[in-house]
Amino acid sequence: MPRKPEPKLSNRVRELREAAGLTQQALADQVGVTRQTILALEKGSYVPSLALAIRVSRAFDQSVESVFQLDE
Amino acid sequence: MNAMEKVAWTEVIVTMSSVVATAALLPWLGDGAWGAFGLLGLLVVGAFFVRSRDGRVVVDERDREIEQQAMRWGIGAAWQFLFMSLIALVFWSSTYNEGLIPTRLVTWLIWLQFATCYLVKGIASLLAYRRATLAT
Repeated sequence: MPRKPEPKLSNRVRELREAAGLTQQALADQVGVTRQTILALEKGSYVPSLALAIRVSRAFDQSVESVFQLDE
Repeated sequence: MNAMEKVAWTEVIVTMSSVVATAALLPWLGDGAWGAFGLLGLLVVGAFFVRSRDGRVVVDERDREIEQQAMRWGIGAAWQFLFMSLIALVFWSSTYNEGLIPTRLVTWLIWLQFATCYLVKGIASLLAYRRATLAT
């Protein structure tokens, strides 16, 4: 059975993190993931779960839609 | 390198070592060489890398997702290996061995299938982490 294609999701995580003066490790600790996951998220190579996307958005006090955009 | 990458490297190194050790002992010990597959017990060393340190998250959702995908690859490869081996064994036994299959060959198959599962799982994990690292 062919795999469902992964959605293309762009994000502003790096921009918002740097504006907030946070390191990747600090953001990772805040949202409960590893630094490598934050790195992969910022590079766009990882599509986060809904729960993680919400946690990341809350860390920047932004809505999910303003942090993550679906490229269609 | 994060904890799960270290686990993946452990899986690759331990399975390769067990296969190499078995192959090296084969000329001297014959079927007794499958004792070298006992090295696969060292796979538990991987658990050492996932212990929590400084209260930080060591394994997160992305790691679990990669591990699940890698395990599917590993089980799939092991299943294919077993399936193809059994087919070959049946053809061989019916053509050259009067339909008899020595049980020692089945023992070899089981060990090789186990090694195949964890070798492919480890490689799949490492490739997934490497893809994430190289992504721009």
